[in-house]
Amino acid sequence: MELSMVLLIPAVAATLAGIFGNRAHAAAAATLIGTLAAFLLSVHITFGPALGVHGRILGLAGWLSCDYLSALVLLLVSFVGFTATLFSLGYIGSAVKAKGLAGTARYWVRYNLFLLSMLAVPLLSQVAMVWIAVELTTLLSVFLVGFEDNPEALEAAWKYVVLTCMGAAFALIGVLILYWGLRTSGAGEFTWAGLTLAGPRIQPAFLKTAFFFILIGFGTKAGLVPLHTWLPDAHSQAPSPVCALLSGVETTTALYVILRLLPVLTWIPGHPAGTWSVSFGLISAGAAAFLLLQVKDYKRLFAFSTIEHMGIILVAAGLGGGAAHLGATYQIMAHAVTKSFCFFAAGATLLITGTRKIDTVRGLIRTSPVAGISLMLGGLAIAGAPPFAVFISEFSIIKAGLAAGHYVIIGLLTLFIAIAFCGIMYQINKMVFGRPPEARAAYRLPATCAAALAVAAIPVVLLGVFIPAPLHHVLKLAAFALGR
Amino acid sequence: MNQLNALAGGLFILTVFGIVGLRQVIGCLRLFVMQSVLLAVSALILGIETGSIHLFAVAGLTIGTKALLIPWLLYRLLSHEIHARREIRQVLNIPTSLLIAAGLTIFAYFTVRPLLDINSSAFIRVNLPIGMGGIVVGAFAITMRREALPQLLGILTMENGAFMAGISIAPNLPLIAELAAAFDVLIIALVTGLLTRRIHRRVGTTRVGDMASLKEE
Amino acid sequence: MGAKILFNIVQVLVVMLCSPLVKGVLDRFKERVQSKKGPSIFQPYRDIWKLFHKDEVVSDESSWIFRFTPYVVFVAPIFVTLLIPVLTDYPLFFAFMGDMLAGGSILALAGFFATLAAIDTGNPYGPMGASRTRMVGFLAEPVFMIVFFTVSFVAGSTIPYIVQQAWITPLANFFEPAHVLVMLAFLMLIIAENGRIPVDNPSGHFELAMIDESKALEYSGRGAALMKWGGCMKFFVLLCIFLNVLVTPWGLADGASIGGLLLAIPLILLKILVFLVVLVAIESSLAKLRLFRIPEFMGAAFVTSVVAVVVQLIEM
Repeated sequence: MELSMVLLIPAVAATLAGIFGNRAHAAAAATLIGTLAAFLLSVHITFGPALGVHGRILGLAGWLSCDYLSALVLLLVSFVGFTATLFSLGYIGSAVKAKGLAGTARYWVRYNLFLLSMLAVPLLSQVAMVWIAVELTTLLSVFLVGFEDNPEALEAAWKYVVLTCMGAAFALIGVLILYWGLRTSGAGEFTWAGLTLAGPRIQPAFLKTAFFFILIGFGTKAGLVPLHTWLPDAHSQAPSPVCALLSGVETTTALYVILRLLPVLTWIPGHPAGTWSVSFGLISAGAAAFLLLQVKDYKRLFAFSTIEHMGIILVAAGLGGGAAHLGATYQIMAHAVTKSFCFFAAGATLLITGTRKIDTVRGLIRTSPVAGISLMLGGLAIAGAPPFAVFISEFSIIKAGLAAGHYVIIGLLTLFIAIAFCGIMYQINKMVFGRPPEARAAYRLPATCAAALAVAAIPVVLLGVFIPAPLHHVLKLAAFALGR
Repeated sequence: MNQLNALAGGLFILTVFGIVGLRQVIGCLRLFVMQSVLLAVSALILGIETGSIHLFAVAGLTIGTKALLIPWLLYRLLSHEIHARREIRQVLNIPTSLLIAAGLTIFAYFTVRPLLDINSSAFIRVNLPIGMGGIVVGAFAITMRREALPQLLGILTMENGAFMAGISIAPNLPLIAELAAAFDVLIIALVTGLLTRRIHRRVGTTRVGDMASLKEE
Repeated sequence: MGAKILFNIVQVLVVMLCSPLVKGVLDRFKERVQSKKGPSIFQPYRDIWKLFHKDEVVSDESSWIFRFTPYVVFVAPIFVTLLIPVLTDYPLFFAFMGDMLAGGSILALAGFFATLAAIDTGNPYGPMGASRTRMVGFLAEPVFMIVFFTVSFVAGSTIPYIVQQAWITPLANFFEPAHVLVMLAFLMLIIAENGRIPVDNPSGHFELAMIDESKALEYSGRGAALMKWGGCMKFFVLLCIFLNVLVTPWGLADGASIGGLLLAIPLILLKILVFLVVLVAIESSLAKLRLFRIPEFMGAAFVTSVVAVVVQLIEM
């Protein structure tokens, strides 16, 4: 019941936003209420008694289901969805005013539909339907990426749709082969639970081929190197609240599908799925760390950081073992809350300075203390400085890897994290401190943007020093779902 | 029956090569329609052989969406000028890209070879490698073409390839998934078509392969 | 055995006598489709007759190759006729001498001599046409080879008589994808090899754009007649291979009776007539390709033949 409600809310909000048409405020209000409701409902699902007792909630005759891993993703999506709505209120208004764009109401319709598709990914239990949901997250966000309607944004949107649809076709054949393997091995439900159950009966060749294609396919969407080229473009050209959603949680939903499949393959001797994940993850983290060093655009900086984080999560999940898996789930959470905060900070900076170029932004802390402090905070948090959540998750992944004896992999990973840290902090430092270029007319950040920054900052600051016990419980059990 | 199916498969992969090699945009679109019809024919043959009602539905859906609705949609969305375009210079010259595409098809065959050793009816032996070839060569076409519409057709070709394999290996996938997938293909065409139209308006060209303002310096 | 030798002679005579007719019908058809009246279908006979009665002019600068070539060009298709099924579906007396590869190489020999002769005279257009013909030939060669491989892959032989049987026993083999695709590839080859549109325009009179025709520009009198006749026969022979071995392996004489043999003559002519309609349709609906686009055309033929092999491989 709750599960269908979660999906129903954004659908209703989208319809309302569509009906309100030109009355943008009403559409925005509907979205705000809707996302808040979805977030509260997700909190209820995640920490509520139903999941606590059974470890699993079923809804809508087996089409929807939710366990701890899905609950975690659901929680993150709805949280970022809510904060991004809050940020959009001021941001889109300013952007529309500044660039003379029409169609704010259309923005809200698309925003809600996009959110709906992302919420559907963790909740759907049929693997084929999950594929469709992931594909829809792309298709429904294309026009959000191209919202600014200038040649760069359209180019980014085109690359985004073409490359991710290409990936989706690869993933589709993977899903079909998975289904074939399941049928060949006898009866079984084509759901995540059914697959995990039937895993050892399926011939390894099917599983390996299917996993390979799904890794490539959804890996494209999660931004794994070498299929990442669309990601920095799309994540830098979209409006900042959309970037927060794309970078913070959309990549996570794509990765979620890959992670879901890992336990099905764990039993195969040599653990090929783990090996592939680790190698793809390492390559992504490494390439992103080096690409970070030479960006000229601060939104691209955060986009490359997303690629790096996806790589780290994949390495942790691929290495296996309870501790590494816990690190992976922790990293998923830390990434989602921190990265969305970073993009809000970047959006605030963009509103104030009107440029995306790192070189032209100096002394932000003097021009606008709110944006400057946010950007500094976000930079420190995402780069993995203590005492923020990313530091703890990366630290626990490194610790778990060392304990399990993967010295080379962890050594490389640590190196990449260090390089990325330097890259991010160097650029952020330049932007926040120093002498402002010239006295610009004072620009007041819209109140809702500041509010969004404040709300989004709470978990960023808090989760590094204190994790509530129920949340820790959820993370632990979600990590348990990654292994067998 | 097996021969007819193999014939449909052989012509299918030929149309996939056409998407890589044909210069005229409108020709590519026509080839795509032919390709979809061949996919429907294959689904129909498999449906008759296995008596599966799902496959008839797939055949009908394929004809309805891919052979009729999508071309109509693209005609309506995009101006005549986009369809009449020709690609004078592709990323690689055409004979080379055709050769690479032929190599990729053989590569695709070897990727699915281990699966065929485990379980293969006569239909799977034909449809799976050909579908896989369609996917791989379709992806190659996307990277080779510079025009927007052929790139879109490359995506749709990949989907067709996946379906070609799918009708043989997963003939009784839940019908709702099939319906949703057909719907999904339609949305791809709609979204990409709209985006192409917008690019055409704002940028003045649909040679998306030449758009390269976003990159690391 | 005597009957077989007789049949062989009949076969050669049919090829020699009917081939100009085929050319005439094709020309007439094409003109008619283009709303022109067109020459009589017997015009090629008249041309050849007229040329035989004219004096021959031979350049002083040319060597024996120039004089020798018309005979090679004339005789080569006749030799091939001995190897392939023109009227009968069983091997005749000389058929033991070679398979389809041998036939191909004999025709290639004629092409080789024609190329040499074109260079021999020093006429600037000759070498140009010769090099273009070679270019098309180089591109056509791999397709030829793969078509033959596919054929032998399916039929287990390259002897045309065996191949012909393999396609129709059982009849389902006729719908084998390898067969259909090989037919398609071979059709493209015939178009390229005979210099038809879209590769070359056989009725063009502009030397700079010629591919095939410019090689025979320097010939006059008897030499020109032999070259022309040889060209007609080559076309006829290739059509026989295409139709009798690949497309419609029916309607050939299967017994040793002379009646059956005579009945096969109108049947093959009818088949060719039907094919000419198709060819005219192709020629009238397409434009000639630029020279540098020809590799693309041949690339398409090559891919088609490769797909034939791949599909055959998959099905095994």
